[in-house]
Amino acid sequence: MASVHESLYFNPMMTNGVVHANVFGIKDWVTPYKIAVLVLLNEMGRTGEGAVSLMERRRLNQLLLPLLQGPDITLSKLYKLIEESCPQLANSVQIRIKLMAEGELKDMEQFFDDLSDSFSGTEPEVHKTSVVGLFLRHMILAYSKLSFSQVFKLYTALQQYFQNGEKKTAEDADMELASREEGERKMEKEELDVSIREEEVSCSGPLSQKQAEFFLSQQASLLKNDETKALTPASLQKELNNLLKFNPDFAEAHYLSYLNNLRVQDVFSSTHSLLHYFDRLILTGAESKSNGEEGYGRSLRYAALNLAALHCRFGHYQQAELALQEAIRIAQESNDHVCLQHCLSWLYVLGQKRSDSYVLLEHSVKKAVHFGLPYLASLGIQSLVQQRAFAGKTANKLMDALKDSDLLHWKHSLSELIDISIAQKTAIWRLYGRSTMALQQAQMLLSMNSLESVNSGVQQNNTESFAVALCHLAELHAEQGCFAAASEVLKHLKERFPPNSQHAQLWMLCDQKIQFDRAMNDGKYHLADSLVTGITALNSIEGVYRKAVVLQAQNQMSEAHKLLQKLLIHCQKIRNTEMVISVLLSVAELYWRSSSPTIALPVLLQALALSKEYRLQYLASETVLNLAFAQLILGIPEQALSLLHMAIEPILADGAVLDKGRAMFLVAKCQVASAASYDPLKKAEALEAAIENLNEAKNYFAKVDCKEQIRDVVYFQARLYHTLGKTQERNRCAMLFRQLHQELPSHGVPLINHL
Amino acid sequence: MAASSTVVPVVATAAVVPVLSSSADFSNLREIKKQLLLIAGLTRERGLLHSSKWSAELAFSLPALPLSELQPPPPVTEEDAQDMDAYTLAKAYFDVKEYDRAAHFLHGCNSKKAYFLYMYSRYLSGEKKKDDETVDSLGPLEKGQVKNEALRELRVELSKKHQARELDGFGLYLYGVVLRKLDLVKEAIDVFVEATHVLPLHWGAWLELCNLITDKEMLKFLSLPDTWMKEFFLAHIYTELQLIEEALQKYQNLIDVGFSKSSYIVSQIAVAYHNIRDIDKALSIFNELRKQDPYRIENMDTFSNLLYVRSMKSELSYLAHNLCEIDKYRVETCCVIGNYYSLRSQHEKAALYFQRALKLNPRYLGAWTLMGHEYMEMKNTSAAIQAYRHAIEVNKRDYRAWYGLGQTYEILKMPFYCLYYYRRAHQLRPNDSRMLVALGECYEKLNQLVEAKKCYWRAYAVGDVEKMALVKLAKLHEQLTESEQAAQCYIKYIQDIYSCGEIVEHLEESTAFRYLAQYYFKCKLWDEASTCAQKCCAFNDTREEGKALLRQILQLRNQGETPSTEMPAPFFLPASLSANNTPTRRVSPLNLSSVTP
Repeated sequence: MASVHESLYFNPMMTNGVVHANVFGIKDWVTPYKIAVLVLLNEMGRTGEGAVSLMERRRLNQLLLPLLQGPDITLSKLYKLIEESCPQLANSVQIRIKLMAEGELKDMEQFFDDLSDSFSGTEPEVHKTSVVGLFLRHMILAYSKLSFSQVFKLYTALQQYFQNGEKKTAEDADMELASREEGERKMEKEELDVSIREEEVSCSGPLSQKQAEFFLSQQASLLKNDETKALTPASLQKELNNLLKFNPDFAEAHYLSYLNNLRVQDVFSSTHSLLHYFDRLILTGAESKSNGEEGYGRSLRYAALNLAALHCRFGHYQQAELALQEAIRIAQESNDHVCLQHCLSWLYVLGQKRSDSYVLLEHSVKKAVHFGLPYLASLGIQSLVQQRAFAGKTANKLMDALKDSDLLHWKHSLSELIDISIAQKTAIWRLYGRSTMALQQAQMLLSMNSLESVNSGVQQNNTESFAVALCHLAELHAEQGCFAAASEVLKHLKERFPPNSQHAQLWMLCDQKIQFDRAMNDGKYHLADSLVTGITALNSIEGVYRKAVVLQAQNQMSEAHKLLQKLLIHCQKIRNTEMVISVLLSVAELYWRSSSPTIALPVLLQALALSKEYRLQYLASETVLNLAFAQLILGIPEQALSLLHMAIEPILADGAVLDKGRAMFLVAKCQVASAASYDPLKKAEALEAAIENLNEAKNYFAKVDCKEQIRDVVYFQARLYHTLGKTQERNRCAMLFRQLHQELPSHGVPLINHL
Repeated sequence: MAASSTVVPVVATAAVVPVLSSSADFSNLREIKKQLLLIAGLTRERGLLHSSKWSAELAFSLPALPLSELQPPPPVTEEDAQDMDAYTLAKAYFDVKEYDRAAHFLHGCNSKKAYFLYMYSRYLSGEKKKDDETVDSLGPLEKGQVKNEALRELRVELSKKHQARELDGFGLYLYGVVLRKLDLVKEAIDVFVEATHVLPLHWGAWLELCNLITDKEMLKFLSLPDTWMKEFFLAHIYTELQLIEEALQKYQNLIDVGFSKSSYIVSQIAVAYHNIRDIDKALSIFNELRKQDPYRIENMDTFSNLLYVRSMKSELSYLAHNLCEIDKYRVETCCVIGNYYSLRSQHEKAALYFQRALKLNPRYLGAWTLMGHEYMEMKNTSAAIQAYRHAIEVNKRDYRAWYGLGQTYEILKMPFYCLYYYRRAHQLRPNDSRMLVALGECYEKLNQLVEAKKCYWRAYAVGDVEKMALVKLAKLHEQLTESEQAAQCYIKYIQDIYSCGEIVEHLEESTAFRYLAQYYFKCKLWDEASTCAQKCCAFNDTREEGKALLRQILQLRNQGETPSTEMPAPFFLPASLSANNTPTRRVSPLNLSSVTP
């Protein structure tokens, strides 16, 4: 089931789902790298229309923005970049920089004096308010602000930069020469180099405010949308520490560090970073007089709220509640309805962990709409839908609600929520047992392009919704016996969400469940048993259930029963209806396997009532199957047959292959049983029909490799052929049975006593 | 050149080692004095002024030597003689802070002394340039990036010498300093330890070591030379690590062996007493120190803190004027003046002076914290938070700043939020009752009474400074209708107050007596009840209640109701207020169940 993740609820770098770092005033200064970029711009301006081909010019223009925004890079790298788009220009840039660096201070000063020329004239090369124009003007301004010693320092820095670039290019050529040099000198050089390298690594140079902001917002949105593309936690932390070393007041870095620490589940550091961020934010809030006291109080409220979020994420619900209470109190005192809205949503998230509290949520949605917070409102609607789906509301109402919120999403282009909405629809259809619809929704999500792609080349982000949809897809394929396709999907999942990323648990569980089912079908119970631990680690309830199933299959009835009873009580407490019904079915199976089908009946009826109430069609039809089987055992095959006719349609339409096979097998059994009292002619007819059905069942079972079931079917067919006197067919079936029986000997369980 | 360099070290060690290697005991004070005088001279020659000052001060506190025992100056070696001219010139330049010039003329000198001065000049020149650079760096983000450019070269050269074992004690010290500046803490510690082994008398090396050691565990694993200097070092580091008891013990030993006149030791003791909040003792020691050394500026900020706490306005004003006359551009002076203004409730001016102190030395930790306090007084919480955060940035172990942050958020009515900060403060000072009481109060506000009780009890157990923990605990028990425990707490509280015999009016005394009177009354212990009721009458706010209770008791007694014998009477008000049979609980480790970082 798609869950609405807590992290979506609040993130101060985000308004209405859009991540952006705090944009301060422009603070930029001249560095040697910037000079090189300026030279490039100047050259581009000077080489008129004809000199550079249109293609090259386009490539250059594409290159410019990352150059202007990105961090400083070495000269050789810059050359390479320019060369890739336009070799001719790279050459002239190189010459200009060489002239400047090897010339005098005067050259640099002259260069800056000439820069402003590009604005003059009737038709200036650069428009003043364009991106490039702004950059140029910033640089000119920053340069003219420099004092004498600073100018000189800049010039020496430029020379240094140039020489380093030269050295780099020369180094490659020198390689062979160097290898022939005497050992000692090389050693010495290496020693020095190593110490220099160390430092180079430890501080890759200061970023200007703009560059730092760009870096932060990029990493933050990557963390949110596509974790695998962001820097690894360790290297990101290193970058942040570096940034903070140069400018301890850069509060956003602390927040990113908090997010980063969340990734690695480090409570201590993340608390520390979070509080540090808000301590710092309070300062900047107070400094900027625009909001005055208001801005300051605001950050206090959000500080408490975020602390609550943090505790909630680490599962400290009591602590989270205390923090939330604090946030609510402060927000109430200052009449901040928006903050209160956030608090309300969180209150729901916290309440969800203990009991259902949809009243809160309804309030939250209403208020959020009232205060014009579309993100919060539709997030609330989605939570509500999720909750209602579990509570057994009809699909049409849920779909209506989702449709309404979808309108909201498209209006405000909240692409993230659109994704969630579709993933949720997939999950809901799946819950209601409509595999076709679920399949269709999952496919739709996967073939949709994201509205806000982080990397221009990639159309989709790796968010939770995609993971959920892909997992459903894998399970759906596995159900239909397309194991190759399922494993293909899982392989894709593994690539997109590497094992240590935050959504990896989803596919891990899905993978193990599929493996478990296959092992059970195959009758490899020891294999299934070994998978149980893995499943338990990811989802304890599921794990216990599967354990019970394995025990049951291994004929350890009393243990299985004990486990199931415990699980039943627990699931009833936490109102996990889906699991309750599954457990009830297992319990019923236990009863009829221990030859007391009469006791199974009330249990099955209970399960049926529940699944009807919650409209879980998939489980309902499975219950009907069980019920019919119980009736068959009790000797009323006619009843069973009529019951089956009721259930067979949805099973054949939407059910898993295994269920289809079981249903057909059961139909055949009932037909045979009810044919006992018929006159011979009619009986033969009925038996023929049964054989047909058995063939169909056999096909289904073959799809999912259910050898045990196939064996039973074949045995049954052989008996039927025998009765009909078709010796040849009988012998064929008997031989098949013998083969399978050698492979999978049955241990004393009466063959017929199997659904 | 090569020949002489192999010979000379032998000579040098032969001449110097017998004097510089020092024994572990203090039996021979004359020897110690000789050593101190010698090292003072050596450090002065090398421009290590602070170490020189320290040694000289300590030497001054010992009795003077007769002429016959005076140490002849160490013999001049061949190398020294060669470098004499260059050294003399360079030292002159060095003294007028022309470091580059000094280094230039010392280049190529071989004697240890000249080499040290050469390297040291280069180091100082780099530092000076760094400071100058900071003013006009290219941009705000580059501020943190300004580095002492000389450090890397120095490190390479010194490490080569170090590997060749050509560094003497001073050289090692400089190498250590360079490593520390490059944030290579581990290597720096090793080198400093080596330096103390080679030249144990050089206080600078010990002091650097002090700054690098952050906890007791680290201290345990150091292999330090077994000399009398180690005692000074240990005492100093115990003070730094807030292990005040041990520090005081060490200093007392030092005084006992004959350093009683040392102003350094006296001041350190005063600081130690300040740290454990024994204000009276600290004050008297500081006053003594002022008499001995009236122009002393060091540690006067601590003194002013004490005067501030005791609200001794006139003394503080006198101190401020006095220091201002001596040198008004000293960090300590600014701090004292800041404290003075703060006491006069002129918080803006106080903040101004603390800012000035920070301009003089941005790493002066105390000023950040004090400035935070000032902003708190001015109700400027955001500025206060900023100041405290700065303090924490300078030193993460500054418990006062953490505590201050906690207080700020408490004022902003965020009790849960401030828990984190108080916990940090508590971690740093586990035995300080103030943090515990603050934690308890927060828990009480959050209605987590179990945790609150633990905190208060712990605060009492570690020795409550403000004597409020027990009352708060009692009130909590009262609230939870655990009357027995409440009564017990009140009894302990009263015992506590009477036993320390303070005259200070305790507001809660009447509350305690009133509760006890009621409690005994309920238990039908008439005698005790009436004693308490009589006590109640001594206070204004409970007088009427006390009288009423007395009347009731009298009435009930007259009715002939005998004190019920079956009623357990576990507690008696200590009539003589001597310690009686109240069971004393052991200090249990503070275990807050829901503690998360």
